[in-house]
Amino acid sequence: MNKLTLLFTGIFLTFGSAWVGLVAYPVANLGHLQPLPNEETGGVNPPTVSGLAVAGQKVYAANGCMECHTQQVRPDPLTTDIAKQLGKRQTVPRDEIREHTPFLGEYRIGQDLSNFGARQTDVAAIHRHLYSPKSVSPWSNMPSYSYLYEYRKVVSQPSANALQGLTGPRAPKPGYEVVPTQQAEALVAYLLSLNQNYPLPESPEPTAK
Amino acid sequence: MSNDQSSQPDTLNSAERATIDASVAAPVILFFGTAIFWLLFGSFFELISAIKLVWPCFLDGCGLFTYGRTSVVSLNALAYGWATPAAIGIGLWLTARLCRVQLARYKSLMAAGIIWNIGTFVGVAGILIGDNTSISHLNFPGYSTHILLLSFILIAIWAIVTFNQRQSGPLYVSQWFLVAGFFSFPWLFATASQLLIWKPLQASAQPAIAAWFAGGFFNLWLAPMGLAAAFYLIPKTIGRSINSQHLSLLAFWSILLFGAWSGTSRLIGGPLPAWMVSVGVAASVMMIIPALAVALNLHFTLDGHYAPMSWSPALRFTVTGVTMLVFTWVFTAINSLPAVSSVTNFSDITRGLNLLGYYGFFSMTAFGAIYYILPRLTGKEWPSSCLISWHFWLATTAVLLGVSVLLLGGLIQGFALQDIGVTFRSSIEFAYPFRLLAAVAALLIVGANLAFAAVFAGLHWSLRRPGTAPALIAVREENSQEPVAV
Ligand code: HEC
Repeated sequence: MNKLTLLFTGIFLTFGSAWVGLVAYPVANLGHLQPLPNEETGGVNPPTVSGLAVAGQKVYAANGCMECHTQQVRPDPLTTDIAKQLGKRQTVPRDEIREHTPFLGEYRIGQDLSNFGARQTDVAAIHRHLYSPKSVSPWSNMPSYSYLYEYRKVVSQPSANALQGLTGPRAPKPGYEVVPTQQAEALVAYLLSLNQNYPLPESPEPTAK
Repeated sequence: MSNDQSSQPDTLNSAERATIDASVAAPVILFFGTAIFWLLFGSFFELISAIKLVWPCFLDGCGLFTYGRTSVVSLNALAYGWATPAAIGIGLWLTARLCRVQLARYKSLMAAGIIWNIGTFVGVAGILIGDNTSISHLNFPGYSTHILLLSFILIAIWAIVTFNQRQSGPLYVSQWFLVAGFFSFPWLFATASQLLIWKPLQASAQPAIAAWFAGGFFNLWLAPMGLAAAFYLIPKTIGRSINSQHLSLLAFWSILLFGAWSGTSRLIGGPLPAWMVSVGVAASVMMIIPALAVALNLHFTLDGHYAPMSWSPALRFTVTGVTMLVFTWVFTAINSLPAVSSVTNFSDITRGLNLLGYYGFFSMTAFGAIYYILPRLTGKEWPSSCLISWHFWLATTAVLLGVSVLLLGGLIQGFALQDIGVTFRSSIEFAYPFRLLAAVAALLIVGANLAFAAVFAGLHWSLRRPGTAPALIAVREENSQEPVAV
């Protein structure tokens, strides 16, 4: 192999073949998926999400939640994701269309969050957990996101949205309160929007055995 | 042994070599020096992250140092601050030597080096202030990737010009790898930046492309550059030629072909067409072929000539590095079989394999290359063989410890995550002791890197009197036939 042109052509072809298959193909075939009409509600599947939840995606990315949490339910019988109730069906490309970046994740240091909004709807509990995970699960190694909250002195009236029932070392001293910032509100709205419990024809729920 | 001319690295005489080396010295030293800074920086952040996993209260509640940022900063600072510039530095020097041309456009390369580091700095700062893109291996925000790409274009132009001016003759195997690496990296990087960051596609199309990029970054960029160094340094240091041209050819083409398709294997069961994952799994398994071809070829080359490993730091690091590459590919092949990956995916095994590939293979090989190259560029010798020895043993122990605990702990964690009867909490508790040891390994890596930085600083500021003998890490055998270095 002594000719530069020959070498170059060979590299171009091998590299290019994978580029066509793994880049051009998804661009052409997966880059323009549409939501499907939902006859029951008159809306669409996946449902559109609020602007606040979309803002929450940025907070999720900025704080690297993806380093510990996946967002993908893998199919039966390859894995036990569905048996472990991470979701009712496999995650498919159409589930991703509401995101800017798919937060599939590489590590399950924490749980999968694809359907977190389906199993937890208590906003106050989510805030308490984000503010101080250890006060909810003492064994947790999730970092505290207390910096997304404002720790401040109560002036005249306690704020309506101050966190209630905080325990542990991060609990506010008497006369102080913990109030979610805009970012924390957005993040929680995003977490609540994580719910794939709508039907998609390409991802049937496995029938019970 | 093959009689083919091209199994000889080069046939320069020492005066020619010295002129070529002198012509590339400034940019190569710039790339290496800054790379070593980012190596320290990245491994320090890796240590912080590893501590946080076992002791979450460490630096907790501070946005700048939250786990989700420190771990991303460490990966990207190591990939773009250390590994890529180190690969570029090795590539520049090897290109000049193997093409037998003195460096042209010296200033554009210095500019490229400076721009590259500005880009890395902006990217790291961007992640820390919360502009992480959340795309693994490409977490730098869009405004910094523009800068990086600009720098690499300058380098690529230089490489094309130099290859065109090369003195005729057969292309040596290292040159194939150099062409492949210098060609693949900008294509990978520009495609992924454009489609995932600058003008992002709909998210449903992104996973395959992100996986293609992450796989390609290792198999088509770092692996070729590391192997280019190994295929040059090993024959040079022991004074023999590469055993088999055929095995080199086989390794080269199989890396390119299968490496390009291998990335998607990590998305098993994920939201993308099943055939993409199947192709990725097949390609990852086929990486056994280059693993064997490289291992056999270098083993037959070194057979009976392993002794210089005991005194030549360049050879010792390089051979260790390539050995780890062979293991990386074999373990990755096993780990991508669906029966295995359905359990191990999302576990610490991924961290273990990253450590093996990026530190065990690439960094070790790059260390070997730098130990070989810098004395030739500067005309000075390494200041302390004792520190080099520390560097080697700390790094090797760290990789062996870190990889074994992460693979073992990851396996247990994976089974816990998969087993319906085991709670999630148990998966954290089972992994705890292994993560603790992994933090120890991260500490050893910081130590190894500090030792390396110290010898580099010692060489740079001439702590050793000129004219003394080379720093060998053991006494050379009397009446040995091997030339230490040419
Ligand atoms: C260091 C790893 C780590 C990081 C980073 C991390 N988490 Fe967690 N997370 C965990 C662990 C471990 C658990 C399980 C223990 C617990 O409940 O605290 C968890 C649990 C959760 C839960 C409860 C899940 C359930 O099913 O009950 C939510 C919600 C959550 N994390 C959200 C987030 C968000 C949002 C971020 C980013 C701002 C984040 N996590 C970052 C490790 C992490």
